[in-house]
Amino acid sequence: MGFKFEYLLSILPDLALAALVNVRLAAVIIAIALMLGTMLTVLRSLKLRPVNAVVAIVISFVRGTPLLIQIFIAYYVLPAVGLDLTPEVAGIAAISFNSMVFVSESMRGGLASIDPGPLEAATALGLRPPVIWWKVVLPQLFRRIAPVLINEATIVVKGTALLSVITVVDVLRTAQQMASSSYRPFETLVGAALVFLVVNLAISLAGKTAEARFAATRM
Amino acid sequence: MTAQPILRVSALSKEFRGTRALNEFYLDVAEGEIVALIGPSGCGKSTLLRCLTWLEQPDDGFIEVAGRPFGRALMPRGVVRRQSRREIDALRPKIGLVFQQLNLWPHLTALENVVRPQTVVLGRARAEATRRADELLGRLGLADRAGRYPHALSGGQKQRVAIARALAMEPALMLFDEPTSALDPELVGEVLTVLKSLAATGMTMLVVTHEIGFAVNVADRIAFMDAGAVIEEGPAREVVANPRTPRLRSFLDLVLDRAQVPSGETLALPQTE
Amino acid sequence: MRFDASILVDYWPLLAEGAWLTLRITIAAFALGYLAGIAVALLAILPGRLPRLMASVYIETLRNIPFIIILFVVYYGLPFSGVRLPATLVGTAALALFASAYYAEIVRAAILALPRGQFESARVVGMSPAQAMWHVVAPQVLRTLVPPSTNMTLTMMKESAVLSSVTVPELTYQSLIVQGNTFAPFEVFAAVAAIYWLIAIGIAEASRRLERRVGAAQAASVSANPIAARYLSLDARRPS
Repeated sequence: MGFKFEYLLSILPDLALAALVNVRLAAVIIAIALMLGTMLTVLRSLKLRPVNAVVAIVISFVRGTPLLIQIFIAYYVLPAVGLDLTPEVAGIAAISFNSMVFVSESMRGGLASIDPGPLEAATALGLRPPVIWWKVVLPQLFRRIAPVLINEATIVVKGTALLSVITVVDVLRTAQQMASSSYRPFETLVGAALVFLVVNLAISLAGKTAEARFAATRM
Repeated sequence: MTAQPILRVSALSKEFRGTRALNEFYLDVAEGEIVALIGPSGCGKSTLLRCLTWLEQPDDGFIEVAGRPFGRALMPRGVVRRQSRREIDALRPKIGLVFQQLNLWPHLTALENVVRPQTVVLGRARAEATRRADELLGRLGLADRAGRYPHALSGGQKQRVAIARALAMEPALMLFDEPTSALDPELVGEVLTVLKSLAATGMTMLVVTHEIGFAVNVADRIAFMDAGAVIEEGPAREVVANPRTPRLRSFLDLVLDRAQVPSGETLALPQTE
Repeated sequence: MRFDASILVDYWPLLAEGAWLTLRITIAAFALGYLAGIAVALLAILPGRLPRLMASVYIETLRNIPFIIILFVVYYGLPFSGVRLPATLVGTAALALFASAYYAEIVRAAILALPRGQFESARVVGMSPAQAMWHVVAPQVLRTLVPPSTNMTLTMMKESAVLSSVTVPELTYQSLIVQGNTFAPFEVFAAVAAIYWLIAIGIAEASRRLERRVGAAQAASVSANPIAARYLSLDARRPS
């Protein structure tokens, strides 16, 4: 049996529709991860020794174990401790937690490249640390790490495909369902691959355009 | 001097997106001669050196090194034969190029920078290559710097290592790209001494420079290049003292005016000026 | 909730077997993927527009598709073209394919970061392109390759968990079997996470040793400026 191009074309609209699930999940995850990641970074900057020691272990754990295992933990283990989550919520929780750590680590790298001059000026003016964080450090920091965050967004989008394993009906699961009725797994999976390719290229492109415009307005 | 020049460049042309960087460039350099090539920036000096070493492929024209065609050969009945990459690589050691940026290999010691090309390209035994490298570095006053890595050397020392690296290949001809530009102004005299000492061994040299004072001091002959071709040449002091073409005259006016402001004394110009 | 270690004692051989396979798959996919990555990187730096375009299509396509889908495309695509191979082999090949795009990008970026004059000065003394790459480019590029390659290898090792979904009996697959038999997710996934964690620490340690051997440049130390240290450093120890 040959590759049926017409079949691939016929399923693309439904796959694109299913991709909205991945995009929606990814948007929620990125918003949560940015928020928690920023909070975690500020918390780490307080340099409370026991807190940072615990954070370091959590980071090492998240970076050292597969996202799939983290998803399984949210899906199988959390109900066992009384947190009965829907597959979607469990997935969002797992990927957000994972992404939060990567956001905070990116921020850690970005902080090292920030010019301390404005901070000294702000301190000399008597601004309080929360104000300095909010008005001076974070705006510069987000500008610095914007490319990294865009990349993280594409990683999150890719990560949402894993949620099909815990029964979330996303692009991949939709493709698998189509394949089981049409017996054409290859075409449906190529279709799913194309959908992800388009979504992620669009994110990268939007990021680059925004960056260029941002760079232009700053000059 | 022999009848056969060490370097013969004829009708060399190179175009970049519609701009003629080299426009039927002709130049002969005789054995033991030092020729300085001067000219305004963008006149094609860098392109010439890149074409002479085949880092850029000239569109047209011929290069002969010590009587052997390089890159392209003119065969009987006017047939032009392009040499293979191997043939070109085999001739490359005959042309020593000292880059403006020197391009020493930072992961190798000064000695190894000089040894490695010999063992890899010429197939010399390590002991033999090391002996030659030691001797060359000694001659250039770097005997106690041989074990150092490039980042631990001064600008002048790095340049001498780069010269030794090229000399180790026993070139018939040495090319220098702006040898004074990467150095502090007070080191110009040092470069001059090194080139003069090379000249004393009979080495043939083509030196691209924009410093007229340096060119006058180092070279036997000066060739003035503009718009991709040599438009005036002759004995060094004479060319600078009595420029014949208006273009060279205006070029000299421009650079001498400018050059005299920061360091007038380094410009040992002929008395006739 | 209690942690019942006896479950782990009973099923330990299964998990150990899975861990061993995960490790072997990672090593094989690293070797295979890096070779392919170098080849694609060389394609990307070749003169001419076509090879560069081919390399960037390869890299961008593989980097923008989730690994689980790459795996499924390969897994279902191979029988489609008449090739039938054991799942472990197919999975390893898919993992190598996935990683090769990232390795290619790492190698390409490292080579391009090297000033062009380094390659040219080697060519000018008469070295062939291959000799110039070997004697001049490669040794310098090697040091900058270690940290990003380690990161990618860790990512790849973690992604190998996805091979469980095509019945490759690696660590995650075994953990799902044990979980299905015992209904003790806490114990099973805690143990499995710990094993992955250990493998990750092992890879990171191996890379640190390699880095010391090739003499990678040390990262710049944190500024001694107290205000900078307050906001711009997350290290617990304050510089005095």
